[in-house]
Amino acid sequence: MSHVTDERETIVRVCDVVKDFRPGFGLRRKRILHGVTFDVHENEIFGFVGPNGAGKTTTLKVLMGLIRATEGSASILGCDVAESEFRHQVGFLPENPYFYPFLTAREILDFYARLSGVPASERARRVDQLLGTVNLGHAMDARLKTFSKGMLQRVGIAQALIHDPKVVFLDEPMSGLDPLGRKEIRDLILSLRADGKTVFMNTHILPDVEMICDRVAIIVKGQIRHQGRIEDFLPEAGRKTDVVLGGLPPETADSLGERFDLKMRGLGDRVELQVAEKDVHQVLDSAISAGAEVVSVTPQRNSLEDVFLDAVRAGGAPE
Amino acid sequence: MNSLSRIYALANNTFREAIRNKLLYMLLGFSVVMISSGVVLATLSYVEVHEILQDMGLAAIRFFSVGIAIFVGIGLIHNEVDRRTIFTILSKPVSRNEFLVGKWAGLTFTVWLLLALMAGAFAIVSLLAGAPLGLDHLVAIVLIGLELMVVVAIATFFSSFTTPMLAALFSVGLWMIGHLSRDLHALGQQSEVGTVTTMANFVFLLMPDFEVFNKTLEAVHGLPIDSGEIGLAFVYAVGYTVCTLILGAMIFSRRDFK
Repeated sequence: MSHVTDERETIVRVCDVVKDFRPGFGLRRKRILHGVTFDVHENEIFGFVGPNGAGKTTTLKVLMGLIRATEGSASILGCDVAESEFRHQVGFLPENPYFYPFLTAREILDFYARLSGVPASERARRVDQLLGTVNLGHAMDARLKTFSKGMLQRVGIAQALIHDPKVVFLDEPMSGLDPLGRKEIRDLILSLRADGKTVFMNTHILPDVEMICDRVAIIVKGQIRHQGRIEDFLPEAGRKTDVVLGGLPPETADSLGERFDLKMRGLGDRVELQVAEKDVHQVLDSAISAGAEVVSVTPQRNSLEDVFLDAVRAGGAPE
Repeated sequence: MNSLSRIYALANNTFREAIRNKLLYMLLGFSVVMISSGVVLATLSYVEVHEILQDMGLAAIRFFSVGIAIFVGIGLIHNEVDRRTIFTILSKPVSRNEFLVGKWAGLTFTVWLLLALMAGAFAIVSLLAGAPLGLDHLVAIVLIGLELMVVVAIATFFSSFTTPMLAALFSVGLWMIGHLSRDLHALGQQSEVGTVTTMANFVFLLMPDFEVFNKTLEAVHGLPIDSGEIGLAFVYAVGYTVCTLILGAMIFSRRDFK
């Protein structure tokens, strides 16, 4: 997480965005976003997390200029999202992307390259390079109607990067991919950060977020419930460490139980202790002095999933 | 990269999509059959054989080319939104206005190409039947081309905010009114009720007048066509198309793509 410092330039700014829809022909409005506010900083991977129907895609569509905010403002690279000229610096992968089925992978990327203003001299090289990057080199000249969902997802990622944008917005980028494909896309996203790009990722696959995101915002029922670095969600106090010891004398075990607040359970000839993080050193010193062998020491982390589930359960939606 | 390059890329893609539509070729085939059927119908008459042949031919060209323009045009924008292909396009530095104009230009070029093919069939049938062919026939077909430009703009306009079914209904309705608006206007002028006359004037001003593009009678019967009328038709087509697209762009720019 060393990539993140809050002093970095703000690349995406969403400020008090409200979005109302009118379902059907009725006059009654339904509020989808309730004053969503967050910032994305330069060269970070920002995870936008929420359950289905939380407003993730709606927020992303506001950022892409596909829908207009009822209230509030949103900007990318300092430009109002309603403008279009700055978008040569922005890449976007929609959820479950669909492309013209009559075109080949090479033709569709050439089309997007033209729209993005990629110079003619660079287009062919860039298209070939990107199709190779997303492992579609073998299917360059196949029509898209013959592509699987995972292959279309890869085309979607390639078109988002065809013009070498500064900021990339990905809506469920791992959708439709097998475990190997997911790993490749994770690596690709990490390489984008290494190349100095900023990545905004909508997803509900929390292990992916934990693995690659620098910062996270959790949206539930149109409201941001948590926002910050992943470590910030997990309080220092109360963190536990699992310590597994072999050959721990029973009297030492009793003594440790009296001196420290810990949980202990036997695992055959081994003992597993759940120790408060602040006591780990003392417990280990005492155990080693008594002749015990340290088998493993594993810091326990609450997963993002815990925080996410708490946020969802606590989220009484304002109407 | 300028706006024109983006419009060209969109138009080119629209053209490629349209020419892959198999139904389009069926309609084109039907039109050629109808153009050729004039030969059979003409044999039923002892007089004006060539006139009947060419009248039928030009009517078939107009009917089928307008049909294709409306048939493809009504789904032009709606399909892009429905299939969500518009999401990736508008995420690029493409304005909604450029998107709309690019789609219109692509379809207009497509129907012009089909018009040229139909005109070729018309010319072959006329030559085989020994019917005269002249500049007037070319003018009549070019004017149909201008009418198509307006019809595509109208279909694009409706497609930008409503369903294909409604867009078809409105477009066909407007095209029919456009060919009757002069008669409606004349009828209104004869009315003794002031309100009727005013309404007839209003409708005539608002609705397209597609009869400015109809020089079939002159072409078939060898009557002179005033060059001023051709110029007027050209200005009218460009003006009506631009106004329709501007109105469409205004509505389209306010749309949310859910």
